[in-house]
Amino acid sequence: MSNIQHGDVVLDIRGLTVSVKGRKILSGLDLTVRAGEVHAIMGPNGAGKSTLSQVLAGRADYEILAGTATYLGEDLLALPPEERARRGLFLGFQYPVEIPGVNNVYLLKAALNARRKQIGLEEVDAFEFLAIVRDKMKLMQMDESFLKRGVNEGFSGGEKKRNEILQMTVLEPTLAILDETDSGLDIDALKVVSNGVNSLRSPARAVVLVTHYQRLLDHIVPDFVHVLAGGRILKSGDRGLALELERRGYDWVLEEANAA
Amino acid sequence: MSARPDAPSALARLEASLPGLPGGADWLAWRRAALAALASVGLPTPRDDAWKYTNLRLLERRDLAPATAQLLPTSALEALPTPTGPRLVFVDGRFHAGLSASALPEGVTLALAAPAIPPPATTAAAGIAVEDRIRTLNALLGRGADHLVIARGGTPGHTLEIVHVATGGGAYPHVALDLGNGASLDLLEYQIGPQQGDAFVAKVTDATLAAGARLAHTTIQLTGDRTVLLDDLRITLSADAHYQHRLVALGGQVTRFDLTVTLLAPGAEAHLAGLLFADGSREQHVRTLVDHRAPHGTSDQLYRGVAGGRGRGSYDGKVVVREGAAKTSSRQSSRNLLLGADAAIDTRPQLEINADDVKCAHGATTGTLDEHMLFYLLTRGLDRETARALLTYAFVEDVLKLLGDGPVRQAVESRALARLPAAATIREFVA
Repeated sequence: MSNIQHGDVVLDIRGLTVSVKGRKILSGLDLTVRAGEVHAIMGPNGAGKSTLSQVLAGRADYEILAGTATYLGEDLLALPPEERARRGLFLGFQYPVEIPGVNNVYLLKAALNARRKQIGLEEVDAFEFLAIVRDKMKLMQMDESFLKRGVNEGFSGGEKKRNEILQMTVLEPTLAILDETDSGLDIDALKVVSNGVNSLRSPARAVVLVTHYQRLLDHIVPDFVHVLAGGRILKSGDRGLALELERRGYDWVLEEANAA
Repeated sequence: MSARPDAPSALARLEASLPGLPGGADWLAWRRAALAALASVGLPTPRDDAWKYTNLRLLERRDLAPATAQLLPTSALEALPTPTGPRLVFVDGRFHAGLSASALPEGVTLALAAPAIPPPATTAAAGIAVEDRIRTLNALLGRGADHLVIARGGTPGHTLEIVHVATGGGAYPHVALDLGNGASLDLLEYQIGPQQGDAFVAKVTDATLAAGARLAHTTIQLTGDRTVLLDDLRITLSADAHYQHRLVALGGQVTRFDLTVTLLAPGAEAHLAGLLFADGSREQHVRTLVDHRAPHGTSDQLYRGVAGGRGRGSYDGKVVVREGAAKTSSRQSSRNLLLGADAAIDTRPQLEINADDVKCAHGATTGTLDEHMLFYLLTRGLDRETARALLTYAFVEDVLKLLGDGPVRQAVESRALARLPAAATIREFVA
């Protein structure tokens, strides 16, 4: 596979309308993401940012009322979450779950092999796998003890986020959706996490950063910035928009949209 | 029930086996009176609140007479992990010297029940309280208490192993542990039973911990599919005494552990944990009563139940904080996982507080696998079956990890694993 070229459409969302427990969270959202691009989706709390991430990854308890999402030409919404993952869609969780007793490394190896199987590559054995993980752990500045621990078991908030990015760098997704990956990180951890994300940037991949704060974008410079509020993209721009949002807040965007 | 209304009850049928039991005429007379008193009230039923979730009706069709066969259970013992300390074996409630270690750690003595002791004076003809009925059954069909005495100062670092083997028929073990001031003991208890055929065990365990004593007690229940096991434990803690119980209930047909822990003096601690594994048509029940009678006591309870097939389970746990037991800290956690639509687990954490300035918390859940965890694993590309299997394992592991990292944990884990769905898949993730 991987004949994805710079500029190919990776994700195309049209008029996506989603409700959770009868409450409409997304209403008519449009977004196009191409290979080689980094998009930042910003917005006030409760705007639907996390819902968007979770819907794209395939969470079941959302109701799709209208719209489409196409991933590499396939109907994304028709695929179960594990199939999305195997096709190279990765969600970095805002709150990664702890699964004590299930070894971190074994999970990651299974995840990598599920992905490799999908794209017709041979499974990696334990030896090859450890070499890959050790390499990426160095990048993420994680120590050896991590290899022995349960999935996110007893991890600090920062460690959990690092672990998400570590998984991402090992899995090398075509589309990475990172949900509030910067929340709860101190400045050093933010740099490490950003390095991890930047290491993955390539003409054949795309990244969607969902974030509340501009500071992440100092380290991972986006090509596009979108404001998500009221369930849809109200405004799009370049990096300058993020800086303006930091200075002026979100209200002016909402007012502009209301006036239009 | 199919029995004719005029058929003698399981208890009444026991009359014939009393003359064969140890002791003289005074003992026989006592046993007869106690049996009559017990038969007049019967065994506990779900109408008794403390037995709400455990139904002993199936005992009516069983022969409860004490086993006499004394078959040597050597192959059953071989299946257990190699002991790390002295092992004492009780077969059908009777100490078996041939299978037991000849030397005990320094400071530990075993005093076997002596039939020369006169029987208890009263027979409570006026009625036996429901909480004493299994004890009464044990007393009237058993041989009295075998005492393990752990001397003052104790034997830190030693693990003493007790294996209770049931070979079929009835077994009535009674073990009493007396720990002196500052004594310390790690006690690992296995309960094994016949893999085929009926067995009934009504066991009594007493432990008295003097000031500063410490007892780390682990019970691994691996009895056969037709064994009914009732274990009534009463633990009494003096000042700063520390009791820890880890229960793993994997086998049996109907199993019930009744734990009554009394914190008599300030600074005592009780830490109870258990895994109840009720697959097939097994029933695993735990009832606890933690009684805080003095200030600065600490207790916590962590019970996990897994039921599959038509399995049943229950956690019925009560914490009482008496007047004056200020600065008590108590926690109860009961979480239960149902693997199928026909499985059921009841949970009832109860708290009765009669003192000021206490910290008590309890939580109980019964349900299916955590959807957030499941989703997380799916987003990593794992198939649904593997994800479910891993989460079930993780749930069980919550208790098993309390067993440490040694051979006991490994042995128990591999037995538990073998009974989980997709066991082979799980093994790839947990090595």
